[in-house]
Parts: sequence; structure tokens; C-alpha cells
Amino acid sequence: MFEVYLGWLEEELASAFSSFFDMGKRVSFVYLISAFFTAAAIFYWRYGKEGFGRMSALLSWRVWWHPSARADYLLWIANRFLLALILPKMLSQAVWVSWLYFFWLEQGFTAFSLGWPDLWVMALFTLCYFLADDFSRFFVHWCLHKNAYLWAFHQVHHSAKVLTPFTVFRTHPVEGVLFLLRSLSVQSVLISVFLLLFPQQVGLWQIFGVIVSSFVFNALGANLRHSGIALSYGEKIERWLISPAQHQLHHSLAREHYDKNFGVILAIWDRMFGSWYKGDDNQVIQYGTGLLIDQQGWLGQWLLPLTQVKGLVSKRVKSIFCICSRWAKRSIPTKGR
Amino acid sequence: MKKTLLGLCVAFSAHSIAADQYAFDITLQGYKGDATSSVSYGGQIARHALHNSLKKVVSKGDEATMLQYLSSKASGLEILDPVSKDGFKVKQTQIDELSTGKDLLSSAYDGVVTGWPGNPTGQELLQQLVTLAGKTKNGYDPVNGYDYTQLVSKFAMGAVFYNKAVNHYLEEKLEADQHPNDQAYKKGTAYTGKEHVWDEAFGYFGAPVNGMSLTAKEVVQVTKLNPAVFSKADANGDGVVDLKSEMAYAHAYYAASVDASAGTNYFHTIMQAFIDGRKVITSAKGEVLTDAQRNAIKEQAKIIATAWQQVIAEAAYKYAGSVYSDIEKIAIIEEAHGDVKKAYRNYVKHWGELKGFALALEGAGRDLGNAQAGLDRLIGFSPILFGNTQVVALDGKGGFVQTSAVTMQEYKLNMIKTQNLLAQAFNLKAKLNDRTAGMSDVLKQINAAGNSAEND
Repeated sequence: MFEVYLGWLEEELASAFSSFFDMGKRVSFVYLISAFFTAAAIFYWRYGKEGFGRMSALLSWRVWWHPSARADYLLWIANRFLLALILPKMLSQAVWVSWLYFFWLEQGFTAFSLGWPDLWVMALFTLCYFLADDFSRFFVHWCLHKNAYLWAFHQVHHSAKVLTPFTVFRTHPVEGVLFLLRSLSVQSVLISVFLLLFPQQVGLWQIFGVIVSSFVFNALGANLRHSGIALSYGEKIERWLISPAQHQLHHSLAREHYDKNFGVILAIWDRMFGSWYKGDDNQVIQYGTGLLIDQQGWLGQWLLPLTQVKGLVSKRVKSIFCICSRWAKRSIPTKGR
Repeated sequence: MKKTLLGLCVAFSAHSIAADQYAFDITLQGYKGDATSSVSYGGQIARHALHNSLKKVVSKGDEATMLQYLSSKASGLEILDPVSKDGFKVKQTQIDELSTGKDLLSSAYDGVVTGWPGNPTGQELLQQLVTLAGKTKNGYDPVNGYDYTQLVSKFAMGAVFYNKAVNHYLEEKLEADQHPNDQAYKKGTAYTGKEHVWDEAFGYFGAPVNGMSLTAKEVVQVTKLNPAVFSKADANGDGVVDLKSEMAYAHAYYAASVDASAGTNYFHTIMQAFIDGRKVITSAKGEVLTDAQRNAIKEQAKIIATAWQQVIAEAAYKYAGSVYSDIEKIAIIEEAHGDVKKAYRNYVKHWGELKGFALALEGAGRDLGNAQAGLDRLIGFSPILFGNTQVVALDGKGGFVQTSAVTMQEYKLNMIKTQNLLAQAFNLKAKLNDRTAGMSDVLKQINAAGNSAEND
């Protein structure tokens, strides 16, 4: 029994580390290296040789071995194990898509077969997939900040005192499940509708087996978002695309930066929701939440949000109870009236 | 000079044809008999003829005759299919002309098959299906939704041919201590141990020896005894099609059939792997195979086993699509208050083919993992019947127990899921009769793109 358990642990660990060689994952070596060179090239172009000095945060062991960074690594592995236990219990993507596609058919929609060329269908599907994926990430992220219950879990990500590319894994498992449900729902709706409109034609435009938008985003330095390298794209571009500097502002402790730049790739959603804020190569930012969560190790990061949510729920229940009892008192007719 | 060149060309092309054929000289050292070929798989062809004939008999519903072809090993049995017709003459008319003392049942898979109530072994299930078929009229049981002609035939092909080839000859029999290549297979045979092991597996595939020079469409027409392809089928030009070497049977036919419809290449992939593997054995010239040579033939065996499994899964995929369409048709006819008898008959027939092929996948001792449980649950023990009931078990007397289940319309969703499961688990290419609009391909891409549990 113990051997089986050890075997499972070993398999999960191997699977976690295989992310370094998986082009579908942001922390693949290819993207880590390409991010480094992207930043180096831009800084050299902007500041000459002196620009290379701005890269030091990425190479500093003080950052990579900071207690906060170590908590990132532990949370990454701990979440892997926990999610491996939970995920098989969730319905698979195939079941969701099959059910939805069938649902549309049963509602009387028949397969349309619009007769578009395959290339157009692929381009349209890729574009819609990209937009739906990016917006849904933005929106769920926005909700995580605006709702007290959800923030209790999302604060784990913001408790990082230093940013490394592995901070992307610093999430509470509940947030992990939420994001998985997000991608399952968005993809299922999109795929099922496209299959209805363009049967036998739906496909993604891919590079090295990865959707083109993710590939470009990752290759051009997505890993810099969680790093000490403040790289701005300049205001013109940042109005359309979120730069690493803009995302670092999102992690800022400063009050004026609260609830800014929720976007992943596109900045247009932030402009629509009034949360856009420009970045700057020279910005100096202190990271964290300034709350109790910042001081927690990986287990505390798991447990504290649960305790806080429990507190919020009991507070809410109490207030509902108070309202109800007040309402009940008013409803009882007073003697003599 | 011109004559020499022409001679060379003819010699070269003759050699090419010979190389395309499954034909190999004797390599057994010290052989002193009269034979000139080391290829022999008459026993396997006899079983193909028994299977083809059994299918004919099941559709007539006569149990005693069924058992003769299933398990009697009796002599004097007539070949009921394939039989000569105008423009397509076959050489043999009796099973004994192919091989004597052969049956189907004793070669069937003896492990458990989970996709049928009561978890019978493959052999028990085959026997049970034939017995049940004997209690019906023409092998059709409308009450429980069984078409025994289809169930018996499709399952037998898997439990006997596919099982013996991939689970037996192309697996354990390729090991060094089994039937070594420096000895005759049996005393007096013209072939070595390994040559015969390989040939027996080839025999079970059911391809004609000249399969590489036939197109997939032609192979299909050979099985259908189409006079238009007779001259191509008659590879040695003796005016008759030899059932031992020039006919296409069972999964060879299905492989070609899938290829002919979808442009895939299952038939020729399997055929080529059989030829390539046999060439390696022949090149040993009657010596014990080296580890490198055994590894080389194991590689070919792997290609064969994978593609063979895909062929069966492709067939199941196609019929899952047919079942979906049948339910749609039944709903339309019911809505118009028409007679659903014919549509229901087709539904039961196609379900029998789907179930038979799904059971065949289980009938060769290969680990299907999660896919096996998925197929069992989605397809169930019977189709959904009128009144939304389904067979769920056997009672103490061996009768089928039905309970209420999902509606027939909901069962259509199971067919979409079945197609997705088959396409993903077996990496299917042809996907005929696709009712999912190409869902599995998109899902494969999306899964590669990654379902992200991470945020920023």
C-alpha cells in the first residue's frame, strides 16, 4: 500500500517537473529563456549596455531563494498533489462538450454546415477561442478581487513578497478549481457551438502543438509578468496589451494600484471595466497584501483562507438571523392595538 | 541489348510482385520433403470458413447446425460461405479441404469479458450467444434487442482470430524458448517453429497473399465475390480462387473496408508488417533468431497489434454512428405515427454490430484501461428498448432482466460519448459515420493547448 502511494507521489512529481519541457506550459525552459532574451533585447534597445543592469532581479538568488519564493515552490507541488486527487472526480472536457453539443441538437438546432473554407473556420475559431479565454480569465480574476469570499482565496496569490515565474502557481486550490471550471465551461460552450456551425471543420491554429496566441504570449516574455523586471511596452501598446510592468502594478501594495490591471494578454477589458493603469520601466513596487496571509507558509496559505471564509459565512448567517428575528417581531400584532 | 534490358525489366518486375506476396521459400535446414513453400496456415483458413458459415447458419436459427460449425470439429462440413457463383469460382467446397479437426470455440479467448451480463469468459459467451440464437427465429430477439447473427460473428472474430493472433502468436510465441527457428514446427513439417507461428497469425488476419498488389476497394470486392475482380483475386491464374490463399476474410476485410471509405491505410500497414516480419524470420535461414531479429519481429508485431485493434475500434465507431441515426429515424417515424418495425430491426442490427465489435476489443486479453469500463457503461448490455428499458443482468435461470433506463433519445448521447471515447482511446483515423462533428480532434488540440488551473 505504502509503495503504491510512493509510486503515485513519484509520478505526480515527475509530471510537475515535466512542465519544464512542455511547450504548453508557461514555465517551460524555452519560454523562460525566451523571456530573458526578450527583456535583454528591449532594454538594450532602450538603454544600451546599461539596460542589462535592469535584468539583475531575474538572476538574483536572493529573489529565487526568498522565503516567499520557497512558499511558491511548495504550494506548486502541494497543489499538484491535491488537485490530482480532486480532478479525476470532475467531469472530463469530452463529457461537457458531448453533453452541450447534444443539448443544442435536442433544442432543435441542426448541424449548419455553412460551407466556409477550412482555413477561415480555423482562423475564426482560434480568434474566438483566444477572445473568450482571455476575457473569461479577466472576468474571473475581477470577481476574485471584488467578492470578499473569493478574495479570501485569491489573497494567497497576492501574498507573494517577491515575484518569480513560479508565482503563477502560488494559488489556493479552490482558486485552481475555479479556474479549471472556467476553462472547461468557456471551451465547452465555444467548441459545441462551433461544431454545430462548422461540423468536421473545427481546429485551432497551433505552433508546436500550442495555440498560436499562447505561444506568442509565452515566447515574448509572459514569465516576466511575475518577476522583478519592470518592463513597460509604452503607453500606446499597453492600451492594447498588458505589459509585465502593468501586471507587477497589479501585485503592488500601494493603495493607488489596488484593483488595477486584471487582464492577462489584452488590456481592452481593463479599459472597459475602468481598471487600466499604465506601467513604467522605472516603477518601484513593494509586493504583498500587508495582511496576515503574507506571513504564512504553504499550509497556512491553504488553511487561513478557509478560516476567513468560515468567519465570513458565520457573520452573514448571524446577520440574516438578526434580520429575520426583527422581521418576525414586527409581524406579531401588538396587544391592544 | 534491347532483349537483355527487356529481360531484366521483366525479371525485376516479377521479383517485385513476388516480394509483394506473402510467399516464402523453405529455410528449414535438413528438410528433405517435396514442399517448395514454407508458408502454411490451413487451420486458420478453416476457422475463417467455419466463421463465415456459422454466420450464415445463425441467421437461419438452427442451433444444432450452429454448434457443428462452432465446436464440433466434425468432418464432412460443407463450406456455406464463400461459395462459387457465376464469374467467381472458388476452389474448395468442404472445410476438410482446408484443414481437418478444427473448431472455433476451443480457440476463443478464455479470460473474462466484462461487457456481458454475468461476466462470462470469451468461450462461455460465444457458446451462450449461439445457444440463445438457437431459441430465436432467424437469430433475432426483438424483446431484448439482440441480433445474434451480428453478435456471434463480430465477437467471434475478436475472441478467436484477433485473440489468437495478437494475444498468442504475436506475443508469447515470439519468445526465444517457444518454437525455435532452428527446428521444424513439428516433425515432418517444411517450416520452422517461428515461421509457422508468424504464418498462423497472418492466417488469422485473413488477407489474400497478394494483398499488397490489390487496392483496399479490390480487397472488399474479393470478399464480396465480385466477378469484376476475379482475375485480380486469382493470383496464380489457375481459374479458381483458392480459399487458402486468395480470399479476404474477417478483419482483413474490415480493414480494407474502412480504408476504402476513408482513405486510411490499415490494411496495407498490417499486410506490410506481416511481410516485413516474415522476411526477418526467413533471413535467419533456419538458424535460431538472434535477439536483434526477435526484437525486429516484435516491432512488426506491435504495428500489427495496434493497427488491428484500431480496425476493430473503427468498426465499433462506425456502428455507434449508425445506432445514433437509427434512433433519430425511429423518433421521426413515431412522431408521424408510422410503422417502426423496419427501423427498429435496423437499430437492433447496428447495435449488435457495435456491441459485437466492442466485445471483440475485450476478447483478446489486452488491457484497455478506463476505455473498457467506459464502453461497457455507455453501450450497456442491450440497446434501449421501447418503454425505455434495458437489459441489466441475468436472472438465476439465465434469462435477461430488464429495468427502466434512460430514454432512447438520451441513449443517443451515449453514442456520441462512445464515438469520442473510441476515437481518443484508440487514436482513430477514419472515424466513419461521425456523429460528433469532429469533436475528438478539437478536444485533442484543446487538451494539448492546456486546461489551465492557474491564474495571473
